[in-house]
Amino acid sequence: MKNKLIRLLFISGLFLFSACTDLDLNPLSEGSSENWYSSESEINMAVNDLYRNVFWPRDNDEWTDDYTRRDLTTPITNGTINGEWGTVISVWQNAYKTIARANTILANLDRSVGAVPQTTLDKFEAEARFVRASQYAMLISHYGDVIYFTDVLDLEEAFTLSRTDKNTVLQSVYEDYDFAASKLPTTYGSSELQRATKGAALAMKARIALFFQDWAIARDAAKACMDLGAYELHADFRTLFLSKTKNPKEMIFGVPRSAVLNVVIGNTKNWINRLAGGWGAAEAPSWELLCSFLCTDGLPIDESPLFDPRDPFKNRDPRCTETIVEFGTPWLGFTYEPHPDTLNVYNYKTGKYVKNNDTRSNAAFASFNGLMWKKGIDEDWADDYRAENEIFIMRYADVLLIYAEAKIELNEIDQAMLDASINKVRARAYKVAVSDVTKYPAVIAGTNEAMRKAVRIERRMELAFEGRRYEDIIRWKLAEKVLSKDIYGMLDVADLRSKVINQGLWFFPQTPEIDEDGVAIFEPIYNAGLIKRLALRDFDKNRQYLWPIPTKEILINDNLQQNDGY
Amino acid sequence: MEKNEKMVDSGGFHPQLTQLIRIMKLTSFLFFFAVAQVLAVSSYSQATKLSLNLKNTTVKDVLLVIEENSEFYFLYSNKLIDVERKVDVKINNKRVENILYEIFEGEPVVYSINDRQIILSPEGMVIGNLRNYTQQAKKLTGTVKAEDGEPLPGVTVIVKGTTTGTVTNADGSFSLDVSADVETLLFSFVGMADQEVIIGNQTVFNIVMISETIGLDEVIAIGYGTVKKSDLTGAVGSMQGDAVAERQTTMVSQALQGAMPGVTVTRSNNAPGSAATIRIRGITTIGDSNPLIIVDGVPMDNIDDINPNDIQDISVLKDAASASIYGSRAAAGVILVTTKRAKVGEIGLQYNMEYGFEKPTQLPEYVNVTRYLQMANELRWNDNNNNANEFPLYPKDEVDNYLSLNGENPNRYPNTDWVDLILNDNAPRQSHVLTISAGTKAVRTNASLSYDKTDALYDGRSYERITARFNNDITINKFLAASLDFNFKRSISNQPNTDPMYFTLISAPVYAAEWTDGRVAEGKTGANIYGSLKNGGFNDSWFNDVGGKVALDFTPLDGLKISAVLSPTLGFDKRKNFRKKVVYYSADDPSVYGGTLQWNGTTMLSETRNDNYRVTTQFLANYMKSFGDHNLNALAGYENYYAFNENQGASRDQYKLDSYPYLNLGPLEFRDNSGSAWENAYRSWFGRVMYNYKNRYFLQGNVRFDASSRFHPDYRWGSFPSFSAGWVISEESFMKDIDFLSFLKLRGSWGTLGNERIGNYPYQATIAFSNALFFQGANVVSEQTAAQTQYAIQDISWETTVSTDFGVDASFLDNKLRFTGDYFMKTTKDMLLALEIPDYIGFDNPDQNTGEMETKGWEAELGWNDQQGDFGYSVSFNISDFKSKMGDLGGTEFLGDQVKKEGSEFNEWYGYLSDGLIQTEEDLAASPKLNTSMKVGDVKYKDISGPDGVPDGKVSPEYDKVLLGGSLPRYLYGGNIRLNYKNFDFSLVIQGVGKVNDRLEGLMVQPLMENWGHIPKILDGTSWSKYNTEEQNLKAKYPRLSQNNRGNNYTMSDFWLFDGGYLRFKNMTLGYNIPSSVTSKINLQGVRVYGSISDFLTINNYPKGWDPEVSASGYPITSSFMFGLSVKF
Repeated sequence: MKNKLIRLLFISGLFLFSACTDLDLNPLSEGSSENWYSSESEINMAVNDLYRNVFWPRDNDEWTDDYTRRDLTTPITNGTINGEWGTVISVWQNAYKTIARANTILANLDRSVGAVPQTTLDKFEAEARFVRASQYAMLISHYGDVIYFTDVLDLEEAFTLSRTDKNTVLQSVYEDYDFAASKLPTTYGSSELQRATKGAALAMKARIALFFQDWAIARDAAKACMDLGAYELHADFRTLFLSKTKNPKEMIFGVPRSAVLNVVIGNTKNWINRLAGGWGAAEAPSWELLCSFLCTDGLPIDESPLFDPRDPFKNRDPRCTETIVEFGTPWLGFTYEPHPDTLNVYNYKTGKYVKNNDTRSNAAFASFNGLMWKKGIDEDWADDYRAENEIFIMRYADVLLIYAEAKIELNEIDQAMLDASINKVRARAYKVAVSDVTKYPAVIAGTNEAMRKAVRIERRMELAFEGRRYEDIIRWKLAEKVLSKDIYGMLDVADLRSKVINQGLWFFPQTPEIDEDGVAIFEPIYNAGLIKRLALRDFDKNRQYLWPIPTKEILINDNLQQNDGY
Repeated sequence: MEKNEKMVDSGGFHPQLTQLIRIMKLTSFLFFFAVAQVLAVSSYSQATKLSLNLKNTTVKDVLLVIEENSEFYFLYSNKLIDVERKVDVKINNKRVENILYEIFEGEPVVYSINDRQIILSPEGMVIGNLRNYTQQAKKLTGTVKAEDGEPLPGVTVIVKGTTTGTVTNADGSFSLDVSADVETLLFSFVGMADQEVIIGNQTVFNIVMISETIGLDEVIAIGYGTVKKSDLTGAVGSMQGDAVAERQTTMVSQALQGAMPGVTVTRSNNAPGSAATIRIRGITTIGDSNPLIIVDGVPMDNIDDINPNDIQDISVLKDAASASIYGSRAAAGVILVTTKRAKVGEIGLQYNMEYGFEKPTQLPEYVNVTRYLQMANELRWNDNNNNANEFPLYPKDEVDNYLSLNGENPNRYPNTDWVDLILNDNAPRQSHVLTISAGTKAVRTNASLSYDKTDALYDGRSYERITARFNNDITINKFLAASLDFNFKRSISNQPNTDPMYFTLISAPVYAAEWTDGRVAEGKTGANIYGSLKNGGFNDSWFNDVGGKVALDFTPLDGLKISAVLSPTLGFDKRKNFRKKVVYYSADDPSVYGGTLQWNGTTMLSETRNDNYRVTTQFLANYMKSFGDHNLNALAGYENYYAFNENQGASRDQYKLDSYPYLNLGPLEFRDNSGSAWENAYRSWFGRVMYNYKNRYFLQGNVRFDASSRFHPDYRWGSFPSFSAGWVISEESFMKDIDFLSFLKLRGSWGTLGNERIGNYPYQATIAFSNALFFQGANVVSEQTAAQTQYAIQDISWETTVSTDFGVDASFLDNKLRFTGDYFMKTTKDMLLALEIPDYIGFDNPDQNTGEMETKGWEAELGWNDQQGDFGYSVSFNISDFKSKMGDLGGTEFLGDQVKKEGSEFNEWYGYLSDGLIQTEEDLAASPKLNTSMKVGDVKYKDISGPDGVPDGKVSPEYDKVLLGGSLPRYLYGGNIRLNYKNFDFSLVIQGVGKVNDRLEGLMVQPLMENWGHIPKILDGTSWSKYNTEEQNLKAKYPRLSQNNRGNNYTMSDFWLFDGGYLRFKNMTLGYNIPSSVTSKINLQGVRVYGSISDFLTINNYPKGWDPEVSASGYPITSSFMFGLSVKF
């Protein structure tokens, strides 16, 4: 018994000993930051993170007068924006996440001096500073004065910070871009990853300089980018934006998508017509946008004799029908025709006529203003409603127009400059040479005011739906005008038939007047009862040129003050 | 017996040790004398209760021990009675009859007790009172059963006023020879109410004993041990297993609702297999407030993995003194579940089945199609500034003639009742339990096997569970005992690919679910939840758990028990989500492609697997000893816990076929997979000393040292002490004379608890991996990325909760009336919380030791039970309340519309103060505004402050939001009534919440959710409207219909808060035990039938159609209607 007892105690002692679990447990499926950033591949992975598409948001065209979302508006277009709006918060959060990660890389680069070649480290530094500059540029253009720092913040320090003047931040942004431009390569080989380039740093610098009306800096940066000779305009405006066109020479900086790699534009149904299985222009081009395209004689629609309100797509700048689906043309396998009396349309796949679901007489939720977005959309969108078009952050046409605008604002106007910039863009749209002025309406050097109007109209035609319009109407102080105008569309079917169609007034009952800013005026037609007001817009000019700082940031840091009017 | 003897011999005892053991055999045992308070008969034998624990001892020695420790003496002849036979006796606080029954079970021995004198004689000799030895006798027989029809062995049956009696045998039957003139029989059994029966001319008695609901002799589980309820010094709630099973829920968590004061159980839906949230004494911490679940001494992840029918009892350790033996993980309380084990002498097979169905308690109602068209038009018209066109969406013709248009062309003008189409009237449900138990002195086995299946209110969803549990106790010899437990659970949750509830509720009638020819219709441009539910694929999960426990108990000395426990649990889970592409075609032409349904764009399979295991090892030493009036119980222990989890997932998209849910059939291009793993571990030392003097003064001290892998080695250990004391005042001589008072005890406790449930590696700044896409020439490639996302705080360590409790337990009028009350305070310090840090730091909110919170509360329970002849009844009621205040948190945490900040309650509502609706243009002009879009008919808000600290004429989120009151329920209560009469029994359980600030959520009060949804009926006629008169608008409850001003009107404000308190009738059961005279004819021990309805009535303030417990878009709360049958063989 005694032996047994001892044996038992021994066994249980052994058991006890062996049962001690190890408490020093480290993450199994994550890395540890303690020793990260010490090899080239680790830093490389950290730098890669800065290129994730979540960190490169574009402004939403829904916030502008280019857009119609049936009878809905957004917190920007109905003036309800405040510091609790999700977009205000997420844009802020993601920008600072990117900045913190870039700063962390910059702060840790010296860990691998010696282990990694200096030129490689310089390139990493340049990329991180390029990204940081782009994030701060976006922040100051939206929020005004923001929190500025270039090191890794600790918690206590963070609560002592307050907002830095946006002009001070701007200078640092320029410095970052300059450093990046000096160290980044102009191009990458076709077997290399296409990361930030010298041209991207210059172009982005030009963009933010233009926003803050530093015309000379914008001009010089844009010019330097043009002088690299690394970029050219894509021959075909239509195909430039399609997902099958990968990494065109016109793209200066962009973020790719890939269906195979599961990074896509989801929910493309919003932009696809109902016949092709979409939601019928839940999000559609606005009538204002349609009216903003010039006629082929270079005149706005209210001045040009070529404009026909009965056939508004006729004789227009080619980009008009490449941006908006022209009525009666094939679109995603069907004839697109919103006319309420076109009850059946042709199905190109089956060769039969089918019920036309793209008119409101057949489908209540077909496009409310008859328009359908075309730019960038292709057959592949309707296959599975996922699209892999890349995100253009900066393309060459934009640089040319920035250059033109800066030069015009500096009153350095001459025909050669125009031909090297704005006319190059316009000629590409017409698929002709710049010099072939008989085939396209070239911009002819004129007054400062006329040139300013020309470049603004050109930007709207060229860059529609690329997320550029919002910043443009903000910096031109045009938002208070265009976002205070209401959104219009077609009358409801019965009224439409009696008041418009039966009177022979389809599509536009009258030609809207275009004002000095290129903005179409629909109020008289609405007052005549010939069109329908879809939604009211409201823009508070006393506050909305800046976004509010996220409410939470104000509440937890006493050093922060909200922007005026919020 | 022989076997044991041999084992002892072959073990080779040293002679001296053998001698020692021999002495121990005779003298070491535990005796507790307790004065029985209840018995009407005041003879010595009735009043004396004994406890003894002797193993392998001769009958002679047992009788000697009894004589030495009581005033009994035995008369018997060695020649007639075999007293050298060896027996094991383990008796706790029972009368001498029970001991004799235990000793002589199966032996040809009968006994007669005459006050202190006990006569043993061979069977066949007439026994009885010696003085009546020659008197004429009659024979009384019968059976005694428990309420559930189970035969009760060991029930004392005596003739009232005498000591003549016997105890019932294994099948609950008894036979007693008495003199002809006796009048009344008295039946008594521990834990049950005594019963007196007039004999009259009756000779056969069938008695049902009623358990005393909360008897003070009840033994309840505490950490690593058990204690008599009357000896408790901490705050412990308990619930018997039959009360759990009686709730008729598949899920144990739901059965706890309203059962004990201080235990808050909330559910948000009643979907098959859904669990409820359990909170003990409110919220202690911002982090994980789930209580620790201990099943048979071993931590378990989920209380719902246990079958309610397997539960013997549940204890809830509420205060620190009770819970601190579990130290680190007990901050949010501990729930101890003990499963059923077999008893010696028990043998039987029981089969239970239940069939029934569930129906929604309520369903929201919506306006009819014509009103829908009118109100949708009004909404658009409002958003268009009420211009000339009052029919902006649906033309007047259509509105006026919709029903006839629908008759002509239902495809074009649908009138779909989505709720009716998708939700079935009821969902069937069934469960089956088979229990086998057998107990001999060496091996006791309880095995159960159960199956539950619940269908859902919509097709494609069900929950099935199979559980098996085998609990074995083996007595190896006098020193060694073992238990071997095994349990298995498999549950299968079948669900459709898309949870249909939200879209079922919001879909407007003007969209078609099916074309008239039965094909899938377009719905709202592809949003057709009915089509998706029917054709859209499945999302099924399988959860398998295998667990076991091996425990060895070594008893080297009486009173000292050393145990080693090893308990592994393995889990294997699998999920398969097969989403099928669903295409709809034109209503008029089946060849015209329409599109795909919103949730079913492509056919995709994704599978996940989870592999996990948990291992607990324990070493415990427990020593119990009485020294005269001093009783001591000491415990020391060591515990290890290790948990490991590994997940993997794989998917393929764009399947061409939708009938093969296997990964190899998908295209290679659209593959994806994922993986992750984590582990954590604890190591703990702990100890406890319980001491009492004369069962009158109780003291208890606990301490636990815990180390967790979640902390840096330098900050890893935490210590958690606690102390408690109790004073049974009623035992004091000065209280003895108070007749109506049966028991009175005061309790007090103080202790600390720890918490560290904050992710697995919080002190390490981990690097998270992801992917970014790059162009490589004209190709797109994916590159791995890495980033630190968390701001790490290395010195993060234990959060501690200090808890103080004062309680009183009292019972009156022969224990018929019982009361328990507690007041408690909990202060949490160094709270681990992911405090809001400025977003511009660029990291996610880190966990840190900061902040304090304090919870104060009270709870009370009152019960009454009584038996009048055949009629027994009991009533009990419990209520509790608590309030948590946040101390200095070092910052603020926002959770949407709730907030935690210094001075606020836990998750207090945070928003604007409303000021009714804006009624006129003047009113609008004079009111402060959120923005320029506000219109007449919108909600008006108060301007509280501005950037300069004074009202600025604007309403802004930065300066005008205030605390709007707590969001947690207050005054939680529960109660039950039980009645029994002869073979019938009835019970009613209620539960409720006294007061709670609830918010009218979007689905309840907002029109046109998703901009195309339905309109709740409660808005019709109660919303502000241009069509109303001024007086009507003054009475309007809701703002004007608007989509664009949704953000203004429905933002968080007190406008949408209301008192969501409710009273719910949880369960009502009526049962009938078929008389044994009937069942015995078919060789059954007992048959019980019962009917039960649950959740059948509520009283509340909620808008019509909404159950107070349901989350707006969740699965409905259901009433269940059950029929059950229980058969014992």
